[in-house]
Amino acid sequence: MIVTPIVIAIALLLSLIFVYLAITEKDLLKAVVFSAGQSICYAILLHAMAAPDIVMTYLAVSVGLYSALIVFVISKTERYEV
Amino acid sequence: MSKRILVLLIITILSLLTSLLITLLLGVKAPTSIRDLGKYYVANTIQDTASPEAVTAIVWDYRGLDTIYETTVLYMAIVGGLAISTISRKVQLKTRIGLTGITRTATRITVLLIATIAFAIALHGHLTPGGGFPGGSAMAITAMLIVPVYTLQSLLERGVTSTRLVAARGLALTAIGLVAILPVLRGLEAVTNQKFYPSHIAGMLISGSLWFYNFFEFLAVASGFAAVALYLSIPEELYREELRGGG
Repeated sequence: MIVTPIVIAIALLLSLIFVYLAITEKDLLKAVVFSAGQSICYAILLHAMAAPDIVMTYLAVSVGLYSALIVFVISKTERYEV
Repeated sequence: MSKRILVLLIITILSLLTSLLITLLLGVKAPTSIRDLGKYYVANTIQDTASPEAVTAIVWDYRGLDTIYETTVLYMAIVGGLAISTISRKVQLKTRIGLTGITRTATRITVLLIATIAFAIALHGHLTPGGGFPGGSAMAITAMLIVPVYTLQSLLERGVTSTRLVAARGLALTAIGLVAILPVLRGLEAVTNQKFYPSHIAGMLISGSLWFYNFFEFLAVASGFAAVALYLSIPEELYREELRGGG
């Protein structure tokens, strides 16, 4: 199947872009959103590599819990990086 | 801003070129055959553990002891977080107004859906992909939705405190420990599955101890992460007051 390598390539490239955006973003809330985008790309990647067990844990933890926790932590500090 | 996009473009093009070079010059190919270890699990999981789901079987049966210790490590991390974010007096918040009615109704529906899916992931963990940890983390997301929408105070008034949730997590972890230790009383090894636990209850396949592990892990992870959400959502001003008042 040619579809799987193409999906993997696109997901990897998108995740690279999201990681770069998350690292260079000064607005921490936006950085969390970019980080969640990277996690979604990785979830697609894991699904393309036929690992549904990991996809479930990964989605729940990295898109749901991790993002929510970081938002709670940002609420305790400042929103913008100087 | 333009410099940021330029760097991004350069990184993207470089990584594309590198991957193309590696594929064309070195000829890296994905393996097409299954390794012997994988073949063993595919062939023998159903006899060894009475579970058609090899991943759950590996996590809770073949490598059961590792997973139990891993659960303990997460428990210690959550207790540690609770220890540094504890507050001596009773948390009493002034604001009780959450978000608007539209958000509340939407959240009510979403929370119900997430909770249903979380239960399905956890209780069918020995049959389909999923298990205690993914189910529990999905369940904990409901707590993280309820706190901002309905406010922390409304949860605290209903008696849901992070201390109680950590206690619930401790109970669930004790249950996991008991499920692991019970076979020892009969002279079997710890974390024994099929020699001690029945594979069916009332005609339903539960794969021996796998169902119990998944269920208690679900309770442990859900209450643990919900406790983290509760103690992280206590406003910073309360801690500052506590520091000023000297405890």
